[in-house]
Amino acid sequence: MKTHFYTYQILSIFLFAGFLACTKEDPVLVEEQELITTVALTFSREGAPSETIRWTSDLDQSPLIGLKSNTQYTVSVSFLDESDPGAVENITNEVKKEADEHQIFYEFSGVAIEFEQAPSDVLDSYQNPLYVNTLWSTSNSGSGVVRVYLIHEPIQKTGSARSDFGGETDIAVDFTLQIEN
Amino acid sequence: MHIVRSFFVLFCILSSIQALNAQSCSYRIEGVVTDLHDGDPIFGAVVSIQGTDLFGQTDEEGYFLIKDICEGSILILVTHVECDTISRRVVVQSNTELKFELEHHINELQEIVLLENGITQVNASVQESRLNADQLTLLSNQSLAETLSSLPGVSSLKTGNAIAKPMIHGLYGSRVAIIANGMRLQDQEWGADHAPNIDLNGFESVQVVKGAAALKYGGDASGGMIVLSPQRIRLKDSLYGTSVLNGVDNGKGGSLSSRLTKSFDNGYYISGQIGAKQFGDRKAPDYFLTNTGLKETNFGLTLGRSKILKGWQLNYSRFQNETGILRSAHIGNIQDLLRAIEAEVPIRIDPFGYAIEAPKQQALHQGIQTSYFNHLTAQSLIRLDYNYQINSRKEFDVRRGNRSDRPAIDLTLQTHDFLGSIQWKKGFEWEFEAGMNAFLQDNYSNPETGVKRLVPDYLKYQLGSFITGNFQLTNVFRWEWGLRFDQVHMDVQKFYDTADWIDRRYRLLYSDYEQRDFGTQLLVNPKLNFSNFSAQTGISIGLEDNFKTTFSYILTQRAPNVSELFSDGLHHSLATIEYGNLSLKKETSHKILFGIQKEGNQFTFGFNPYLNAVENFIYILPTGVEQTTRGAFPVWSYEATRVFMWGWDAYATIQFVKRLDYTLNTAYTYAQDVSKDVPLIMVPPFNLYQQLKYSFSGDKMEIQLVHRMTASQNRFPNTNFEVNRIESGSIIQREIDISTPPKGYHTLDFYFSLPLKNQSSLNSTLRFIVQNLTNTTYNDYLNRLRYYASEMGRTFQLQLVLKY
Repeated sequence: MKTHFYTYQILSIFLFAGFLACTKEDPVLVEEQELITTVALTFSREGAPSETIRWTSDLDQSPLIGLKSNTQYTVSVSFLDESDPGAVENITNEVKKEADEHQIFYEFSGVAIEFEQAPSDVLDSYQNPLYVNTLWSTSNSGSGVVRVYLIHEPIQKTGSARSDFGGETDIAVDFTLQIEN
Repeated sequence: MHIVRSFFVLFCILSSIQALNAQSCSYRIEGVVTDLHDGDPIFGAVVSIQGTDLFGQTDEEGYFLIKDICEGSILILVTHVECDTISRRVVVQSNTELKFELEHHINELQEIVLLENGITQVNASVQESRLNADQLTLLSNQSLAETLSSLPGVSSLKTGNAIAKPMIHGLYGSRVAIIANGMRLQDQEWGADHAPNIDLNGFESVQVVKGAAALKYGGDASGGMIVLSPQRIRLKDSLYGTSVLNGVDNGKGGSLSSRLTKSFDNGYYISGQIGAKQFGDRKAPDYFLTNTGLKETNFGLTLGRSKILKGWQLNYSRFQNETGILRSAHIGNIQDLLRAIEAEVPIRIDPFGYAIEAPKQQALHQGIQTSYFNHLTAQSLIRLDYNYQINSRKEFDVRRGNRSDRPAIDLTLQTHDFLGSIQWKKGFEWEFEAGMNAFLQDNYSNPETGVKRLVPDYLKYQLGSFITGNFQLTNVFRWEWGLRFDQVHMDVQKFYDTADWIDRRYRLLYSDYEQRDFGTQLLVNPKLNFSNFSAQTGISIGLEDNFKTTFSYILTQRAPNVSELFSDGLHHSLATIEYGNLSLKKETSHKILFGIQKEGNQFTFGFNPYLNAVENFIYILPTGVEQTTRGAFPVWSYEATRVFMWGWDAYATIQFVKRLDYTLNTAYTYAQDVSKDVPLIMVPPFNLYQQLKYSFSGDKMEIQLVHRMTASQNRFPNTNFEVNRIESGSIIQREIDISTPPKGYHTLDFYFSLPLKNQSSLNSTLRFIVQNLTNTTYNDYLNRLRYYASEMGRTFQLQLVLKY
């Protein structure tokens, strides 16, 4: 039985020492894949060049959008991953492709703006608008906020407030609105 | 049974009968001497009292009786033909029953081991609670933590229904050590949402000690230790096993587990165990808990040879599970959290299903263990254990672009653990154990996840040495002490956001750790050292009338764990960003435990108050708000503070009339963050467990009714925060109340046990169990997903236990 004892002791020490000797390789940098760093809103109206306002994650305050009162704008939204300036990724394409699992939505505060789907909007398989391209109709002048939402796996695809959709919020960013005559 | 015997073995104080009168020489000592191998009585052993002419001789039933014993301390001698004499000092203050189990191998050494029902108490000066095989079987459908939560002072910290981790005296995670088969379980114990990867069905008993009473296994478990012991192997030719089959209506699932052991009279044995479990979506009283299914399989194989004096064992175990996490608990931002809290029912309720989708966890835990022990001489024992554990964990989040199939967390944790110890005795009074514990842990965090690592890659080395001793003058006085010293070294490689690294002033403090600059990311290589000292001392004194008191002081020091130091990421279910803290120092806890207990046939009770003062108590608390593209998130960071805790556990069992037993377990914990002068978060509220059990005569039919009461926790810190929401065209500030604990609740469980026709080779029992009998809707403070859904509703369970 003595031999047994030594066998085990030596075996254990050997195993342990074997693993102590191994060194660890440097970890690889994780490529973050679901990052959205930028939300861009492009506004166009008849008789004027289109204008793009960008929200980026390094901003300290919400970017300003200047609009004219009683005017209709075509607004398209895009979501970008600009974490690697050399390889900017347009997430909007992914959202469009998975239209059934996503919903874009806008909520306004302080100003009265109506929005509806634009003729160029993307529809999901149930013909619900994704609101990637929308028509905004401004009324009186004033200032306020628009909150842009990208909702993932909403429980329903129609509604008049964010709470109607359920799901998880992938994006919720604010832009300041200034509507002038 | 007339073969030559020597005397090894088990000596067990069962219970005693109260002293009736104070006349000093009227006491009796009676008991039995049986064979350890097969439980057969031993005939012809002489039990005598030194210095007197009093003696008894065992009859064919192994029974002996000695009368007219005077009060006081006596030395009992047990002799048998051709064997050395064993002596044991006993204090007589009432009629006493003793049980000796002897081993009859020829020419073996004389060794006596003091055991109680085959299980050694972890530490005699610290109260322990225990669940036996029957109690474990009864609850075999549940997780370790839930099973233990019927014990006083033990609660379960849950994340939904299936993920539960044990909490002792309000502490959990790295502060609670789980010891299986004599070695510490290594998994992601640091995470509140990581359940221990262990299946209870492979074990015969569970002991819970509420402090780091067994320094052999580690000096950092200030909460306590959970010791899981496998079945004792019978040392004779036999084949035996147990199978348990459970069918459950809630979740439309069940479990099956089987254990089979073949042992030979030359000491060899082989033992195998398999288990499988599956559930679909569970149901709260009013709705299905979507995506709360569970799949689990486990397997174990043990080979060994045990010969009382020496033995070896080789063991392999595998545990795999996949656990769904309530779908509605996966949220995107704090407005989603507010909406979830406001909603009466979970936001997403789908019809029942077995499918487990993201969010979910997958864990695979494998372990190989080899152990060896040898009684080198009559007075000494050497024990060697080596254990390799590999634990892989994958967590899946709901992700965009078909990435839900790709884990968001993918960790592989490998641990090599070696424990060697030597025990020796000096006379009958002193017993010592000294040893060494070496440990290497390697964590690998797979970068393929495409998500920032929650915990970094690291190597952790630990070298510990310990010495413990106990001094037992008589059976009524015992003094125990222990010292342990650990050196911990961590070699970590972590990527920090360069901006964060600078913001948190790490560039100033730890520029030495910086390894490589990747622009926005910085690879750092902290090398941390901690020296921990732990100590324990305690006494146990037997008093009159079967009263016993214990007193113990335990000093523990714990190095911060990897999550406290380095955690870095978004917690989807709580919508919080969690940050570790590189500057943390070791945590030191001083715990004083006091106990008084009384054993008896009709009445047993115990009261165990404790104090725990912790310096540098590491905890997580809200420290600010961070702006992300998902909106503003509250940031929680690990910090250290001073904590003062006190509390008590109490239990009582009363036999009202014959066959009708009442059990009461109750516990209270007070915990205060002294530096900030606020209560500590996630402390179990006052709770009470009552059980009424009636056993029918004859056929051993049994009915049990269990009532649990959990009070509302009135002591909690305010961690609420504000969120702004656009409501009908204007921005409204709303407070998110994540602090207020839910109301207290009562639940009732019902158990009915029916022994079926029993033959000598097959023993079967059928049980019918109802949990949450009244289908009460309630939420539990210690469930981290309490904001999203209620606890499970009424659950019917049918259980068949076969013993063969």
